[in-house]
Amino acid sequence: MIDVQHLTKTYGSFKAVDEFSFRVGPGEVVGLIGPNGAGKTSTLRCIVGIQAPSAGTITIGGHDIVRAPVEAKRLLAFMADEPQLFEYLTVMEHLRLTGRLYRVRDVEARARDLLAELQLTGKEHAIPAELSRGMTQKVAIACGLLHDPKALLFDEPLTGLDPLGIRHMKETIVARGRAGAAVIVSSHLLHLVEEICTRIVIIDHGRKVADATLAELKAHPELAAAGSSLEQIFLTATAGEP
Amino acid sequence: MIGAFLYLTACSFRNRLRRRLQRLREPRYLVGLLVGLAYFYLVFFRGRGRRRAGGQVTAAAMGAAAAAVQFLGSLFLFASAVVAWVWPSSRPPLQFSRAEVQFLFTAPVTRRQLVHFMLWRSQLAILFGSAIATLVLRPGSFAGGWTLLAGIWVVLMTLRLHLMGVALRRLSVASHGAAGLARQWLPVAVVLGAVGVLAWSVAAAWPSLRALTDGPGVFAAVQAITAHGAAGVVLWPFAALVRLPLAASAGEFLAALPAAALLLALNYAWVLRSDAAFEEASAEHAERQASARVAPRAAVKGAGATPFSLAPDGRPEPAILWKNLILVGRYLSLRTALRLLPLVILLAVAARGSAGHGVAAVMGAAALPFAAIAVLLGPQMLRNDLRQDLARLPLLKTWPVSGAALIRGEVLAPTVIATSIAWLALLLAFVLGAGERAGGAWAAIGESRPSIFAAAFILAPAVVAAQVVAHNGLAVLFPAWAAIGATRARGIDAVGQRMLLLAGMLFTLLVSLLPGVAAAAAFAAVVYLIAGTVLVVAPAMIAALVVAAECWVAIEGLGRILDRTDPSAVEAVE
Repeated sequence: MIDVQHLTKTYGSFKAVDEFSFRVGPGEVVGLIGPNGAGKTSTLRCIVGIQAPSAGTITIGGHDIVRAPVEAKRLLAFMADEPQLFEYLTVMEHLRLTGRLYRVRDVEARARDLLAELQLTGKEHAIPAELSRGMTQKVAIACGLLHDPKALLFDEPLTGLDPLGIRHMKETIVARGRAGAAVIVSSHLLHLVEEICTRIVIIDHGRKVADATLAELKAHPELAAAGSSLEQIFLTATAGEP
Repeated sequence: MIGAFLYLTACSFRNRLRRRLQRLREPRYLVGLLVGLAYFYLVFFRGRGRRRAGGQVTAAAMGAAAAAVQFLGSLFLFASAVVAWVWPSSRPPLQFSRAEVQFLFTAPVTRRQLVHFMLWRSQLAILFGSAIATLVLRPGSFAGGWTLLAGIWVVLMTLRLHLMGVALRRLSVASHGAAGLARQWLPVAVVLGAVGVLAWSVAAAWPSLRALTDGPGVFAAVQAITAHGAAGVVLWPFAALVRLPLAASAGEFLAALPAAALLLALNYAWVLRSDAAFEEASAEHAERQASARVAPRAAVKGAGATPFSLAPDGRPEPAILWKNLILVGRYLSLRTALRLLPLVILLAVAARGSAGHGVAAVMGAAALPFAAIAVLLGPQMLRNDLRQDLARLPLLKTWPVSGAALIRGEVLAPTVIATSIAWLALLLAFVLGAGERAGGAWAAIGESRPSIFAAAFILAPAVVAAQVVAHNGLAVLFPAWAAIGATRARGIDAVGQRMLLLAGMLFTLLVSLLPGVAAAAAFAAVVYLIAGTVLVVAPAMIAALVVAAECWVAIEGLGRILDRTDPSAVEAVE
């Protein structure tokens, strides 16, 4: 579903992502992890079409994000770590706008279901200024899920959520994966990645340093000495620890 | 504590200056600074000798018109004070930055000291404004310059203190509820009484005013009415303030100083006596400003009706129009509409009572320039398009919408609004100005008047659309130069940049209008040569169609550029 091949992203002379390739199939939940400045956000932004790749190709459901961006974006949903809402639109108006842009026919019914699922019922007519940080995040997620995307990208999805929200968010991500969506979760919360991801991609200095299931990583000859936790594997793989 | 505030103000000023100097390494800022400096030189410092002579002429002219200027200045200050009371700003009385909230609100600093800090901080802006105003007015002598500068400073400072005091009082009323209202009844009553006195004075003389048809006559009559009696007493404090910068000599300045200084001192004491707990409102405002530079400056009023019902399926452009019209609607409210009610009533009375003569004719004539302003300045003022939304480019780029469709949708809202205002003004001009047909300017045009207005109706959206597309095009092509979102870059280099953009915009507008005008003129000429008839409406339609086609082509090209635009190119302005 998500196919990234030889992705390179440069900013001036700085190469943020360097020949990065990976695939995410339907039903997979892939954790994209790496140190600060490793190139995670640049990768995500290239995948969703916010930034153009300097080199390489990205296809979503067979649609090239550069050559056929509209078709590719119809299949996508991107939940940024800092959700941006229009401060003058209510929650329901955000969903109606999103529904129109993504051509969702039964927007009212789907919106109410999503609001119920995300515990936003009763906030339909609230503007973002009347919502907490966590609720704002949930509205962004509701907008993202409204068109039943086939590929979902989450950038630090647990930021600002309360414990119950965290639990629901984890369930939402897993449920979408089980429903057949290709999911990428970028996070520094390694326990989250360990808990919900079916595969892990580690990126460092713009290059892929690992791409395997947690079990495979634990069994990897070069990483086996690190121990059994993802944190230890991560630190070893990214040379964060000798 | 004053030392700490001075230190903070001085360091902030120094570092801001250093930052602006550093960004001159970028050619666009350097070019902007040079253009800005050239502009200031040409406007304010060109030919010092001539300026001095010109200044004397200006001073003499000001002296001759001192009474009129003083009257208008007094009215302006009075109106500012009244508006502050009856039309409260959504902004808090004291606007702190988020850093100031975090550092100063948690520090052992009294409320009064915070007020002093804000007054200290506002001095740079007030002094700068006073200096610019002094340069613009070009006093005849160095001494005159200093009295003018000091006079303007006193006026601006008093106005600033008064507006701050009003906002603090309103906040106090809000926080104390009914008890607060009881404590604040006196200033509210004074303001209402003052407005009543002025209204009564004008109403008493209304029959004689209504008989007057010329503008200067009406002006002189109103000036005479408000110079004496109760109206004169109401306007005295404002006139006393205005008298200071208008002083023609040092002696006059010193004579006017005690009254103005007393008013300044009274407002200062009034502000300091306020017990309004402004911290919460200020902190909330700071958070709102800092959380998103995309946030418009005024507060959103809350959910309300949408401009139209958005169908779940269809092209994206109407959805973006719907969104941007909601933006406008959320900043308007019933209260805003009610504030416009007196104007509407005035227009209705004028239209009904005068039946196309006198005041109605004057208003009809005034509607024409208003329509021109809506057409020519509306696209610059209405920014509910990409100029607002480019700050959210990362979000917009995730939408399954092509760049061209996005721009088409974005330019619709300001085009629709500016065109509606222009059409309304044209309609008013057509209806209210009808009485002028017999002997006015329209007499020579005669029967062509409806055709000319119809042509104006047709051309208005085309001219508006061309400008809106040009503004959005400049934002797409030069995102780092355009003022994106709610914030504006400041400084002389920014002024230069804006002037370059304005020049570019005007050039683009002229170029875009030329083909349409040429096609319309050619068509009209051919018809005239063949039939001997001068057509107006049909050429206007041709011109409008050509401009619309140009807009479409331009948007397609801009859309491709927007598709390739990296959000990082849209830099944050200070």
